[in-house]
Amino acid sequence: MKKISIDPITRLEGHGKIEIFLADDGSVANAYFQVPELRGFEKFLEGMPVEEAPRVVARICGVCPGSHHLAAGKAVDAVYHVDPPPTAKKLRELYYSAHYVHSHIAHFYALAAPDFVMGPDSDPAKRNILGVAEKVGLPIAGEVLKHRRIGQDIQIMVGGKSTHPVWSVPGGVSKGITEEQRLQIVEMAKSCVEFSKFSLKLFDDVVLKNKAYLDIVLSDVYEMDTAYIGTVDEKNHVNFYHGDHRVVDQKGKEIDRYKDAEYLDHISEHVETYSYLKFPYLKKIGWKGFVDGPDSGLYQATPLSRLNAADGMATPLAQAAYEQFYSTLGGKPVKKLLATHWARLVELLYAAERLLELASDPEVASPNIRTLPTAVPTEGVGIVEAMRGILTHHYKTDKNGLITEANLIVGTTNNHAPISMAIKRAAQKLIKPGKEVGQGLLNMVEMAFRLFDPCFSCATHTLPGQMPLVVDVFDAQGKLVHSEGR
Amino acid sequence: MTRRTRVIGLGNTILTDDGVGVYAAREVRRRLDGQFPDVDVVESEVAGFALLELMAGWERVILIDAVAFDDTEPGEIFRIHPQDLRTSLRIRSVHEIDLPTALELGRRLDMGMPDEVLIFAVQAQDCLTLGERLNEPVKAACARAVDMVVDEIGRAAVAVDRGPEA
Repeated sequence: MKKISIDPITRLEGHGKIEIFLADDGSVANAYFQVPELRGFEKFLEGMPVEEAPRVVARICGVCPGSHHLAAGKAVDAVYHVDPPPTAKKLRELYYSAHYVHSHIAHFYALAAPDFVMGPDSDPAKRNILGVAEKVGLPIAGEVLKHRRIGQDIQIMVGGKSTHPVWSVPGGVSKGITEEQRLQIVEMAKSCVEFSKFSLKLFDDVVLKNKAYLDIVLSDVYEMDTAYIGTVDEKNHVNFYHGDHRVVDQKGKEIDRYKDAEYLDHISEHVETYSYLKFPYLKKIGWKGFVDGPDSGLYQATPLSRLNAADGMATPLAQAAYEQFYSTLGGKPVKKLLATHWARLVELLYAAERLLELASDPEVASPNIRTLPTAVPTEGVGIVEAMRGILTHHYKTDKNGLITEANLIVGTTNNHAPISMAIKRAAQKLIKPGKEVGQGLLNMVEMAFRLFDPCFSCATHTLPGQMPLVVDVFDAQGKLVHSEGR
Repeated sequence: MTRRTRVIGLGNTILTDDGVGVYAAREVRRRLDGQFPDVDVVESEVAGFALLELMAGWERVILIDAVAFDDTEPGEIFRIHPQDLRTSLRIRSVHEIDLPTALELGRRLDMGMPDEVLIFAVQAQDCLTLGERLNEPVKAACARAVDMVVDEIGRAAVAVDRGPEA
């Protein structure tokens, strides 16, 4: 049996490894996707005052620290049975909208755009943000940096620190913003709305108006038929910070819905011997294995899932983009995986508009930012939509508020089975007997992985880059016959 | 006079050996004790675009970080330049942009990127376990890395004082 593996070159950020096994005739027999996981997390938290959790969990990951900070923050509110005042909730959501702006811009321009602007099988030396800048104009790269930075600056202004916020406290936040800062954020948000509109237009011009690329998006290489999960507000519109967690089936019909504290009744985790990382599934349906289709117990948790699981967007421009998304792609739910990149841009526009909406509300500058907890701490769950999937934090404490048990289901873990299946499907559709396995082809396999914006990050930084992948091809006898990227 | 130099200790101090760059930077700051006004020492956890911003505006940048190369003993130290890294422009990262790409992008955008980026990379033993202590070989390497960085800064200062021929 032949084996292809896509492997990291150096560690640093948590790395994944993709192995593709070829049969004797050169077709793909199977594909596995492995990730190393952090060890000792629960033990590390055990005995720690639970109010420290938001600060500590933000440090486990430099990719979505704000998501961990706020999921833990909400869990800690629940542990202390305290409801933060409206200003605190709005400020948290404002902060989080800025986090989304910053993260979605980075992902789209650094990782998605190169495949489409330059082409999936273009020269790898140019298939990066530099190539994109060369093609669409260097000023665009400047705008990318500027708006990513705005997202970050707002987080610093509001949360104290961008990478490791020290801000969410039981019952609210540790500091508010001034009226002057609020007005400053309004101007920054306006600029982000304009840049988000531009980004959607760029996607329209470069991908949707280019038949070859649109064909790739619509091809059967990148599609999957599972349920979808996403958090929605009372009108069933997408919300990143609070609401019900709604699951729709393969036909787009609501089949499940739960609140933060109820997650264990709705989500279970399957274990496979070859991976430390678990495979979550819908408890109601049960674990049916790595299968999609009508009987699948799997769900996806991505920007595409959030759009599929909702009835619309809460802001006007994003709603218009949402409608165009579904009218172009033939109605709900959309099953074409590469449309996730487009969905991410619809979310970017929503995040920017929501940021502007929240900053325009004078109440965010109110000094009423905290309800002091008075009840004895017990147990609590907090859930937010991390950029790369729904994020659940669950803590139990003793009566002094010291953590006795912690459980986390992080964004990418939700997508563990779907990512594995997407890679296998792409490999099976693309790698054919007698066809040479080249760099362009393997990049197209990797695209199936990249669209999930996966994060297996353990360190919060990395020197050479984050999670670089190498592709190795092994023949039927297990001998290395092709290596890409080493 | 020295060239305007920024020392950046990269790492995560709750992931065992991954914190080595941060610990080293703290010690470098203590050892330099403000004797070189043009040298700045910072600790950071960032990469990609954010690292690009941290490097902009400095003539020289010295990075200290943990690495996990294949077939390498924990505690080994590599003194390398970005172009020596086995990752290159052609390898894109999953989350953002890698270091050579970040540098090149900053140059094209005239962001005042450093003329020289020097990396002291310390081979880690374990960066996956949550913990706040370095493993022994890495702890020893941390002290050596500090010496190397301090020497590097001292040497550069002497070279500048003697003029370009030195």
